[in-house]
Amino acid sequence: MKKKEQIVSYMFILPAFLLVFILLLIPMFQNIYYSFFEWDGLKKPVFIGFRNYSMFLSDENFLISFRNTLIWVGFTLIFPVMGGLLIAIFVRGLAFEKFFKSIFFIPLTISFVATGIIWTYMFSREYGVLNNLFNLFGIEAKVSWLTNVPLNTFSLLIAWTWQQLGVNMVLFLMGLATIPQDPIEAAIIDGANKWQTFVYITFPMLRPITTIVITMAMVNSFKAFDIIYVMTRGGPYRSSETLAVTMFRETFTLFRMGYGAAISVFLSIIVITVSAFYIKRMARKDLLYY
Amino acid sequence: MRRNIQKIPLYFIVVVLVFIWILPVWTTFLVSFKSAEDFVNQKFYQMPTKISFLDNFKNVMQKYRLHEHFLNSLLYATVGSGIAITTASMAGFSIIRLKPRFNFLLFIIIYSGTLFPFQMYLIPMYKFFNTIGLYDTRLGMILIYAAICIPFSLFVYRGFYTTIPKEIEDAAKIDGCGPLKSFLYIFLPQSIPPTAVVALFQWTWIWNDLLFGMVLTRSREVRPIMVALASMSGYAGGVIPLIMTGVIFTSVPTILLFVLLRKFFISGMVLSISNE
Repeated sequence: MKKKEQIVSYMFILPAFLLVFILLLIPMFQNIYYSFFEWDGLKKPVFIGFRNYSMFLSDENFLISFRNTLIWVGFTLIFPVMGGLLIAIFVRGLAFEKFFKSIFFIPLTISFVATGIIWTYMFSREYGVLNNLFNLFGIEAKVSWLTNVPLNTFSLLIAWTWQQLGVNMVLFLMGLATIPQDPIEAAIIDGANKWQTFVYITFPMLRPITTIVITMAMVNSFKAFDIIYVMTRGGPYRSSETLAVTMFRETFTLFRMGYGAAISVFLSIIVITVSAFYIKRMARKDLLYY
Repeated sequence: MRRNIQKIPLYFIVVVLVFIWILPVWTTFLVSFKSAEDFVNQKFYQMPTKISFLDNFKNVMQKYRLHEHFLNSLLYATVGSGIAITTASMAGFSIIRLKPRFNFLLFIIIYSGTLFPFQMYLIPMYKFFNTIGLYDTRLGMILIYAAICIPFSLFVYRGFYTTIPKEIEDAAKIDGCGPLKSFLYIFLPQSIPPTAVVALFQWTWIWNDLLFGMVLTRSREVRPIMVALASMSGYAGGVIPLIMTGVIFTSVPTILLFVLLRKFFISGMVLSISNE
C-alpha cells in the first residue's frame, strides 16, 4: 500500500521531470562538454581542454563584448532600477496615479522585438523621431544613434530602459504598499524631513524587494539579446555586442560551436553567481511569483 | 495648501517622463496609419492625409505572410503553456502534498532549468533536434517551449499549494478520496490564481520568444511570429509604415492578455509579497 502511494506520487512528477531533464538538463551538461572542443558543427570535434576559455583574453571581440555587458549591467542598475524606484515614490499619491502607472506599464505588454523595431525607427537618422524632434527645437543635428560607436550601446540602453523601467516600478510600488505607515509618521512628528524618512525608514524596509529587483534586473541585463539583435545585430563591426549576442554570432554565424559553448558557460557562471542571492531567498521558501 | 505647491515640480517631472514614454507608442500608431508617401513627405507628428492602415495591413499579410506565423505562435503559446500548466500543477501537487522521498531534490532539479541563460541550451538542442528529426517542426517547438516554461510554473504552483489548508484534503482522504481525485476535485478548482499567473507570463514569453525560433526553425511554415517580425525590419530599412503595422498586429494578443488578466498580475504579485 505504502509502496503504491510512492509510485503514484512519482507518476505525478514524472512528465514535468522528463521534459525538463531531456530537453534542458542533459543539453546543459552536453554544452559544458562541448566547450572543451574545437568544433565547426560538421567535422569531428577536437579536444582542446581549456583553450576556448583562455582564448577569451586574447579575443578583442570578446573583450569588447564583455565590457559592453558590464556597461549594460551598470546602466540597468542606475536607470531602470533606481529610476523605477524614484518613479514609484514620485507617483504615489499624485492625482492620476493610476494613469501614470499604466503609462509606464505599457512597454511591458509588448515584446523585445517590437520594442527594438519601434526604437530603431525612433533612432533612424533621416526619418527618426528623435532627430526630427531636435530639429523642432532648432538643433540641426543628424545623430547616427545606432552606428556611431560609443553612442550605439547607449542608444540600445535607452530602448532597454523604456521597456524595463515599468516592471521595477511595479515591484517597488508593491513593496512600498506593504510598508507600515506608523514609523514614518512617528519620524515626521519627531522632525525628520522627507529625505531622512526615506533613507532611514522607507529604504531599509524596502530591502527585501530591493534585493529581488536588483538581482532580477542584473540577471536580465546579462541575458539581454533580442533588443540588441533587432536594433544593431551587435554591429557595426561587432561594437555593440554583449556576451549573449557574441555567443549567438560565434555559434550560428561563424560556426565556432566550441567557442560559443565556452562563452555560454562563462555567461552562465556569472548569472548563477548573481542569482545566488535570489536562490538563497527562495531556499527560505519565500513565495515570490515573479 | 503648501503641500500642493510643493508637488508641482513633481508633477512636472512625471509629466515629462510620461511624455517620453508615450512618444514611441503614439508615433508607432501614427506611422502605421500613413501611406509610404505620407511617411516620406511628412514630419513625424503630422496627421496622415489619408488613413492607410487597412492597406498597410493587407500588404503586411500578402508580402510577409505574418498571419501564418501568427497562427504558428498561437499554437505554440497555447499548447506549450498548456502542457507546462498541466505537468507543473501535477508535479507541484505531488511535491507539496504526496511528499514522495526526495521531493525537495526533485523540485530543485526541475527548478534549476530556469536559472541558466538560454544560450546554455542552444547548441545541444540544435544538434539533438537535428539528430532526432525535430528540427524545424511544430512538435519540436511545442516541446522546447513547454520544457522552458515548466520550472517557473512549478515554482508558482508549489508556492500556491502550500497555502491550501491540509484539513480539507485530510477529510477527503478519510472519505476514501485518492490522490488523483483529491488533485482533480480539491486542488484544481482552487488553482485559478496560479494558473492565471502562469498562463499570463508563460503564454507571453512563448509569444515573444525570438531566440529559439531563430535557432530551431528554418521554414516559413514553422517559424514563430517574432522571428518573422524581426526579419521584416532587417538591419537597414524596409518600408517603415508596413513594419509598424506588423508591430501592432503582433502585439495585439499579449496586450489583450495583459488587459484581461490584469487583476491576476497584481493579485498574484501582491499575494507573493504578503507571504514574506
